[in-house]
Amino acid sequence: MSMDFELLVRIFPEVLLDGIILGFMYALIALGYTMVYGVLEFINFAHSEIFIAGAFIGVEILLGLQGRGLLEGFPWPLVLLLALMAGMAASGLLAVTIERVAYRPLRAAPRLIPLISAIGVSFFLQDFIRLFESLWRNAFNLVYPSMDALNHRLELTATIDVSVKSLVVIVSALLMLWALHLIVNRTKVGTAIRAVAEDQAAASLMGIDVNRIISLTFLIGGAMGGAAGVLFGVQYGLINPYSGFIPGLKAFTAAVLGGIGNIPGAMVGGLVLGLLEAFAASYLSLLTGGAFGAEYKDIFAFSVLILILIFRPKGLLGEVVRERA
Amino acid sequence: MIQALLSVGLVAASALGVATFPRSVLAFLLFQGSLVFVYRARIPELLRWSLLVVALLVLMPVIGYFNGYYLEVATQVGIFVVLALGLNIVVGLAGLLDLGYVAFFAVGAYSWAIFGSPHANVIFGGGFPLAGGWFYPFLVVGLCTAALTGVLLGLPVLRLHGDYLAIVTLGFGEVIRVLANNLDKPINITNGPKGITPISRPPTPFGLPYGEYFYFLVLLLVVVVVIVNRRLENSHIGRAWEAIREDELAARSMGVPLVRMKLMAFACGASFAGIMGVLFSAKQVFINPESFTFLESIGVLAMVILGGMGSIPGAILGATVVTVLNLQVLKGFSLWLNELKNAGVTVLGYSLADLPTQFEPAKYERMVFGIILVLMMIFRPQGIFPARRRQRELTPHGS
Amino acid sequence: MALFEARGVTKRFGGLTALNGVDFALERGIVSIIGPNGAGKTTLFNVFTGLYVPDEGSVTFRGQALLGLRPDQITALGVCRTFQNIRLFANMTAIENVLVGMNSRISLGLWDVLSHSARFRQSESQLATRALGLLDRVGLQANANVVARNLPYGDRRRLELARALASQPALLLLDEPTAGMTQGEAGSLMRLLRGLVADLDLAIILIEHNMRVVMEVSDRVTVLDHGEKIAEGSPREVQASPRVIEAYLGRRGAAPRGAHGA
Repeated sequence: MSMDFELLVRIFPEVLLDGIILGFMYALIALGYTMVYGVLEFINFAHSEIFIAGAFIGVEILLGLQGRGLLEGFPWPLVLLLALMAGMAASGLLAVTIERVAYRPLRAAPRLIPLISAIGVSFFLQDFIRLFESLWRNAFNLVYPSMDALNHRLELTATIDVSVKSLVVIVSALLMLWALHLIVNRTKVGTAIRAVAEDQAAASLMGIDVNRIISLTFLIGGAMGGAAGVLFGVQYGLINPYSGFIPGLKAFTAAVLGGIGNIPGAMVGGLVLGLLEAFAASYLSLLTGGAFGAEYKDIFAFSVLILILIFRPKGLLGEVVRERA
Repeated sequence: MIQALLSVGLVAASALGVATFPRSVLAFLLFQGSLVFVYRARIPELLRWSLLVVALLVLMPVIGYFNGYYLEVATQVGIFVVLALGLNIVVGLAGLLDLGYVAFFAVGAYSWAIFGSPHANVIFGGGFPLAGGWFYPFLVVGLCTAALTGVLLGLPVLRLHGDYLAIVTLGFGEVIRVLANNLDKPINITNGPKGITPISRPPTPFGLPYGEYFYFLVLLLVVVVVIVNRRLENSHIGRAWEAIREDELAARSMGVPLVRMKLMAFACGASFAGIMGVLFSAKQVFINPESFTFLESIGVLAMVILGGMGSIPGAILGATVVTVLNLQVLKGFSLWLNELKNAGVTVLGYSLADLPTQFEPAKYERMVFGIILVLMMIFRPQGIFPARRRQRELTPHGS
Repeated sequence: MALFEARGVTKRFGGLTALNGVDFALERGIVSIIGPNGAGKTTLFNVFTGLYVPDEGSVTFRGQALLGLRPDQITALGVCRTFQNIRLFANMTAIENVLVGMNSRISLGLWDVLSHSARFRQSESQLATRALGLLDRVGLQANANVVARNLPYGDRRRLELARALASQPALLLLDEPTAGMTQGEAGSLMRLLRGLVADLDLAIILIEHNMRVVMEVSDRVTVLDHGEKIAEGSPREVQASPRVIEAYLGRRGAAPRGAHGA
């Protein structure tokens, strides 16, 4: 038993790091869900594909550069920045288009209708990305080209080292979250978004163009998802059109955990879920003697989702679930 | 009169067409189309139902003789018809969006798979598999286990509204899938991703080959399930479900016990999936977690939506169209494309042989489901055969 | 013992006290609850029917405590209501709406339905007869098979009444049943209510704004303002009460509109 305990302690920093990275990623994706829910009270089921589309744009940029032998030539921060910008732009635009085409016509319908439409969009996009990549590249399971600079490991202490890649992912995520915080709280647009989320009718009476704000919300939420996609690809390497589904569902769990509709809540929820999952994945197997291993980490997240929705639907930072009279 | 002649003519001609060109997907589609026509045509009821009975009981098996694959397609359609009818109760009648419906199908399938195969010896030490004849009582076992699962799922979850209910049921479906994939340790219950095989089949009456046997069994179950659905629909239970879907608060205030009725909807819907699960494992002889994913849940949902929520003929039509699309049209398109490629055909100067090898139309079921769902929601949310408010002849009894 | 009794009912929503220590009792006949908008009348109904749980107070019906019971349980006991904003089952026909109302009186189970037992068939036909009878009573039997959403406004209110009657209540709570009706329609509805009270041994609590109706049909009137009961008594007494007048119109001294039979 004591040997196990030593093992537990030894892997702790690594698990913590994994948890933080995972957490930030969930937070970025969760923002998309929560912002849209805030203004429309609607779960954008297709957000998981908006997320993975960003990853694909990123990989295309990198593969394109690699193909021209330019990948190692350019400074890696520039390359990453390019990939991130492209991913964010593509995902943001995709989100706005989806809203216009598949959700806006259904805004007045009973709530299940746009939800079903969103599910349809999600499925369509999965195979659309597959189709595109099959025709373009004759492959849809793609690997992010590895960059030497990123694989370099830095020694933080005698026993702990961390890859540049992980640091880059963390820093990028932090910058995104901070940028979002600024936008939402310090700009006119952000205030308008918060107003529409609070009370659509009142906001429109105040002269806010609600449709435009909704589109902007999708744009920003989508861009965050796209950024998360690129970072996901950089961090984990392998992507396919179907790999957005599970992270998307977990990020939604994170959004609900933090309080759906609540932006800081999405960040908190993401981090909490990421950490919980990382610890469950690493320690569950050790603690149960191999009976329940890391494969159960998915069930773990889903169970968290089911439990919160049943026992505390307003989440940690609590968004009042409106009573339907 | 014209419609009557047309009905008979279409059915006969298309059946003949299939017999003559057993490999033609188009011919089979025409045959199926003719059945839809017969269903909707303005012809005397006796003619309509005689044609349908003859087509399904006689012509279809004969077609199956010419092309076993078509019988397989018809059987699969039947399985999905029952699943769609089950989901129809939950989504269409009671208005509860269940995105994890396949979990009940899985529960039923694994119940027979475990006990009807040598796999149970791993758990219990010996005495298995049960003889094929146990299949029949296990249809009931599957029904009950699935219904129980439905109640267990429903209890904590039913006071959630719309979106949240949908996501929780989705999560539950995923939990079942991951469990099926991973419950091979510490005790090997499901044998994980390797699946379970061989699963016993019942002895067939009259020495029928299994293809025909399962076809007729499925047909029988479809009839039973349709009758059950009809009876539920035209009763206080069905009315209570519809009231819940229309306005939960008002329903409650009029004396409808919400939780009990919702649980009943879940249990009824689940039980259909449970029975079909048992049949599915016996038919396939091999099951693994791959058959029970979110894709299947959404597939059944697409069937209900396409056909029309709350509508029995709608569910049947939806299941037929979607299954045929996936099993025949997409696959047929794939095969046809391959033939064209091999023949060196060019389209607008582009040689089809140059198409990337990874492009296989047969794999694009999700795109099909997605398009169906989005287009239906935008253009025709009530479905192709919307549930008609039945004008009941309400004559007082004995007064 | 009163048929229906509520004591000290208090309901708060965050910082707002919607109801403050309201007492109410009903033995028989028709009692109206009136008061300016926002007085808490519908909130009181929601407490009575189990949609809200009060912070303080008790509600009993035929001696049985209603607090803690679910709305469907309360309906099964014999208390049924209509809604201020008409909540019909829009896509179901008139007769189907009424049939749903009878749900609490049906004791058949799943098995009866699935097997189409004789019991079931007999029950369905009896229900149909009763439903038609109720529709006839409110004057809708010609529209029995019309989908509720296609009915004209006045018919929809009457359908709600028929549906509420379907559960064979001993006490009916009607929330602004004459809203949007002409004086003629309102008058005929009131005559209908009077007939129901007489024929079915029914007690009715009415929330109303139409003073003429209130004066004409009520045995007693209770007045709420800002969540408190400010007056109670016969229609005449309440009409003349200065507190009531003040509540409606401020310190001006004019009587509530429509009270002079004009």
